[in-house]
Amino acid sequence: MKPLSSLDELLNLRDQIQKRLAERDKKIQVKVHLGTCGISSGANKILEAFLREVEARKLSDVLVLKAACIGLCGREPVVTVIPYVGDKTVYFDLTEDKVPRIVEEHLIGGKPVAEWAIDLDSPLFQLQEIRVMRNQDINPMNIEEYIARDGYLALAKVLTKMTPDNVIEEIKKAQLRGRGGAGFPTATKWSFVRSSAGDEKYVVCNGDEGDPGAYMNRAVLEGNPHSVIEGMAIGAYAIGNVRQGYAYIRAEYPLAIETLSHAIAQAREYGLLGKNILGTNFEFSIDIFPGAGAFVCGEETALLMSIEGKRGSPRPRPPFPANKGLFGKPTTLNNVETWSDVPSIILKGADWFASVGSEKSKGTKTLCLVGKVNNTGLVEVPLGTPLGQIVFDLGGGIPNDKKFKAVQIGGPSGGVIPTEHLNTPVDYEAVTALGAIMGSGGLVVMDEDSCMVDVARFFLQFSTDESCGKCVPCRAGIPKMLEILDKISQGRGTMDDLKVLEELAKMIISTSLCGLGQTSPNPVLTTLRHFRDEYEAHIIDRRCAAAVCQALFRAPCQHTCPVELDIPGYVSLIKEGRFEESYRLIRQRNPFPSICGRVCNHPCETKCRRGQLDEPVSIRHLKRFAADYVYEKGLEYLPPIAEKKEERIAIVGAGPAGLSAANDLTRHGYQVTVFEALPVAGGMMAVGIPEYRLPRDILNREIDVIRKMGVDIRLNTPVDDVDALLKDRYRAVFIAAGAHKGDNMGIAGEDIEGVYDAIDFLRKINLGKEVKVGKKVAVIGGGNSAIDAARVALRKGAKEVHIFYRREQKDMPAIGEEIKAAKEEGIHIHSLAVPVRILNGNGKVSGIECTRMELKEFDRSGRRTPYPIKGSEYTVNVDMIIEGIGQRPDTSFIKNGSVKVGRGGTIVADRRTLATDHNGIFAGGDVVNGPQTVIEAIAAGQRAAYSIKNYIEGKAFSPILERHDWENIPVSTIPPAEQETQPRARVKASEIPIAKRKTSFDEVTLPYSEKEAMEEASRCLRCDLEAGEG
Amino acid sequence: MGKITTEVSKQRETGIGYAGRIFGQIQNVIDETGGQSGALIRVLQQAQGLIGYLPPPVLKTISRDLKIPLSEVYGVVSFYHFFTMVPKGKFIIQVCLGTSCYVKGGRKVLATLKKDLGLEPGGITPDGKFSLETVRCLGCCGLSPVIAVGEDVYRKVKAGDLKDILSSYK
Repeated sequence: MKPLSSLDELLNLRDQIQKRLAERDKKIQVKVHLGTCGISSGANKILEAFLREVEARKLSDVLVLKAACIGLCGREPVVTVIPYVGDKTVYFDLTEDKVPRIVEEHLIGGKPVAEWAIDLDSPLFQLQEIRVMRNQDINPMNIEEYIARDGYLALAKVLTKMTPDNVIEEIKKAQLRGRGGAGFPTATKWSFVRSSAGDEKYVVCNGDEGDPGAYMNRAVLEGNPHSVIEGMAIGAYAIGNVRQGYAYIRAEYPLAIETLSHAIAQAREYGLLGKNILGTNFEFSIDIFPGAGAFVCGEETALLMSIEGKRGSPRPRPPFPANKGLFGKPTTLNNVETWSDVPSIILKGADWFASVGSEKSKGTKTLCLVGKVNNTGLVEVPLGTPLGQIVFDLGGGIPNDKKFKAVQIGGPSGGVIPTEHLNTPVDYEAVTALGAIMGSGGLVVMDEDSCMVDVARFFLQFSTDESCGKCVPCRAGIPKMLEILDKISQGRGTMDDLKVLEELAKMIISTSLCGLGQTSPNPVLTTLRHFRDEYEAHIIDRRCAAAVCQALFRAPCQHTCPVELDIPGYVSLIKEGRFEESYRLIRQRNPFPSICGRVCNHPCETKCRRGQLDEPVSIRHLKRFAADYVYEKGLEYLPPIAEKKEERIAIVGAGPAGLSAANDLTRHGYQVTVFEALPVAGGMMAVGIPEYRLPRDILNREIDVIRKMGVDIRLNTPVDDVDALLKDRYRAVFIAAGAHKGDNMGIAGEDIEGVYDAIDFLRKINLGKEVKVGKKVAVIGGGNSAIDAARVALRKGAKEVHIFYRREQKDMPAIGEEIKAAKEEGIHIHSLAVPVRILNGNGKVSGIECTRMELKEFDRSGRRTPYPIKGSEYTVNVDMIIEGIGQRPDTSFIKNGSVKVGRGGTIVADRRTLATDHNGIFAGGDVVNGPQTVIEAIAAGQRAAYSIKNYIEGKAFSPILERHDWENIPVSTIPPAEQETQPRARVKASEIPIAKRKTSFDEVTLPYSEKEAMEEASRCLRCDLEAGEG
Repeated sequence: MGKITTEVSKQRETGIGYAGRIFGQIQNVIDETGGQSGALIRVLQQAQGLIGYLPPPVLKTISRDLKIPLSEVYGVVSFYHFFTMVPKGKFIIQVCLGTSCYVKGGRKVLATLKKDLGLEPGGITPDGKFSLETVRCLGCCGLSPVIAVGEDVYRKVKAGDLKDILSSYK
């Protein structure tokens, strides 16, 4: 190949290549994407398979080509099939055995295999703006394919039609900001170097992409290397007196080094690098300098030191590299992506470049969307795209129905952005305002299973390892911060430690020599800023909500359980066939095993590590099994009671919180009286939860145990003066009155006959009162009360039941199993629908007018806010409406401000001590927190009992609940056998047939048999036996 | 046995032993790149590529021929993670602990490897076959958790896969 010696020669070559490719491409193209991830996923084998098939079947109209990575990382190996006429198809998750069918049905038969193809209309593709990633679908090892796409025309234009100042002007107009992290205006940087004195200058490409979680530079180097070469050449020309460029590339990127190296050699061959480029007197060469594994060498001055063959220690600035850089000469160092953007700005114009983006951040940015997100991979979006859109629309949301927690952006120099800020546009200004930095654009998505203290610790460990050691604040300060974080994650932290962390951070930021030190405290500062309560929970409560900091707990299930039930223990006892002992172990910490075994929302199962292997252990159903076994055999017993004390305690409300407190206080020897306004005990367990979930005899059996312990439960006895109780004979009062008042929707027609509140409705049914249920019932709401009301209405004779919920089904707060059961029973769920008016037909409900909703920006809870769609109203004929949109406490019985009542009618009480502002009066459960779950109420009752005991004894309160287990039941310490840890599904609990479910209140879920229970219990991995950190 | 016989016969033929040949190759590397500024790191990289590690005699040779004080050479070797003065295993297992791999279970993979091989990171199995290291990001974050064995990259690694992966290395 004779080197090109003029613009015209280049244009001719391009035209020739285009003609040739057009001929070549009059075939079906099969492009196999061969980035590092593709290759590690077996893409080479896929390539070979296609070649084999095409050869064997002599398919002369099929062309198998190599291409670079298009960013669908989580779905590798990926192959794009482009027919000569028609739309392209992108296949993903390919395996060798799938190739023959694609060849048969698609390449020969012309019909794509839809089930293996990605939906190109999905937001993942529609929301992207491909510019930097424009050449990922051609072969990077062939310069001609780049030239065919106007490659090197920008360089030619610059050399023949523009002056260096013109070039810088164009870059300035485009408002290109450095894509390496700091976002410094590129044109400004180039101007500084241009105006520095000297006739020997350098351009350097920073390919030391060290941020864990960021690999977009690698993708560009592997897929679009010529754009970087061309950009550097243009930069060299614009700055003047630059004859040599360096590309510093991490050694961890061998394919990138190889690809760029090959590209440089080809460019040289074609006269696009070297002396007399394109026949002009411009000369420029590029050498590749591989890194040697030092993150700090991504820092400007450290990188230059490294190229000079020295230790990568940064140096103070001034002098800036623009004046004294590589080898003491003026140098510009720019990021891979910055260089890659340059040719298109020159060719398509600054206005084109700046046509997308936000006010101060123009253009697009490649982002690595990784971590706990469904569509992991490389995406390119206009700067300013809201973070939530990237995570949920492009990224497809969080896998396994977990809750989003935060996005970590900017690597170890960056910070976390929590749920409240999902609407933040991803651009330089907005991200910095939140305390993070854009960095190179790595977005690591984290969910509820990530601990923010641990994340901060992780980054500090990284910075400690990578600190060059030159300056004291970084070398000594960061390990000190790490030490404190280690302390906190091991449960030895103090509140003072948080102050010290912040002080140290301030000091390190203001006195460190280079960017690494200056930014390394950022992860700590942002996690402290947005997740301070998580730090405090580690320190005060010694609790890691994400169940990550191993030193704080035995097993994640137990730690997540609000009453810290010894789950591995009781499950293991079931496995061993020691059912009664299992019950006794449970009973020590949970007074209602039969009840919880049926209705608990099982937070334990969401953290069960077995779930990472196949499915979580059926912890709840096993609990039911043990409890039912004991009751059937009449083996229940009363827990031991301490010597009787003289103090009397009054409890307002015989719900789970009140009865749980009664259980504990009685065990301590106090005399407890529970006042209950309703004719039955049990609170929501009795009047909220329907019988087909919790049979009355089961419920009453467990409440009777409380009675037998000596608790005086007075039914039909409302309390209207809490103060009087204290003045009377009671030493302390625990208010656990629950949240039994249903909220109104506040729309017209709520007073029409046939409109019910879900809580009222459920209570009446549970108390055996007559309620006329319509034929076609509308239930409004998405929580447990709404689902309960719907399934009850069905059993009470409704022919059709329709649930209307204002968001999407996946956002419904009800327990997943309940929603599933409702749908199985034929209940219709209408999402994105909100009633606006109730229609009156002769004094009774005749219908409901609803409007459809659309979801827009995110709210503080991380869910999208629904807005009514104008003009979308529609009417549904119904003859009964049940409103289950929310409930709140009815604290009208609190008179004269005897305790403080706050928002939503809830009583104000300290979160940990449960003390109110009135000495001796405590409050907990739904009456303080609004509607929660049975197990949380039980835990609140335990905490109240503990507080009251301390109060009476005059002891100081400790946030760590002292639990008094009264029996030591030995549990096997043999870890599970090898075959028990092999994947196998849960033992499914059987249910009564659907036809029978719809017409009776019989319990729907059937119990495990002994064999089933023992088999399910053997799936437990016994995380409590694992010593030390995983 | 086979490798030793080859070495012995080569020595008989050429009169130069294994060590001598290696030093010869290093000399070539120095000659090729020695003139360039900042050659030290590149020479070290190539030397390590030849032997697998950088023992003191090699460093002394490089220091002498590039005219760079030995202390400075040592300073560079000890600064960069990639250089090692102790031998590495035949296959180097690198467990990625970058953010994405960390968040998706990288620690469990490392723990399993530590247990199965009986090694701490930085260690080498007694038979010299495997050494274990942690790296901070191999750049394949879309497929976390990731490990590399030699030049092969494995993705979405689960603790249960490790036995099979390792047994394929002889």
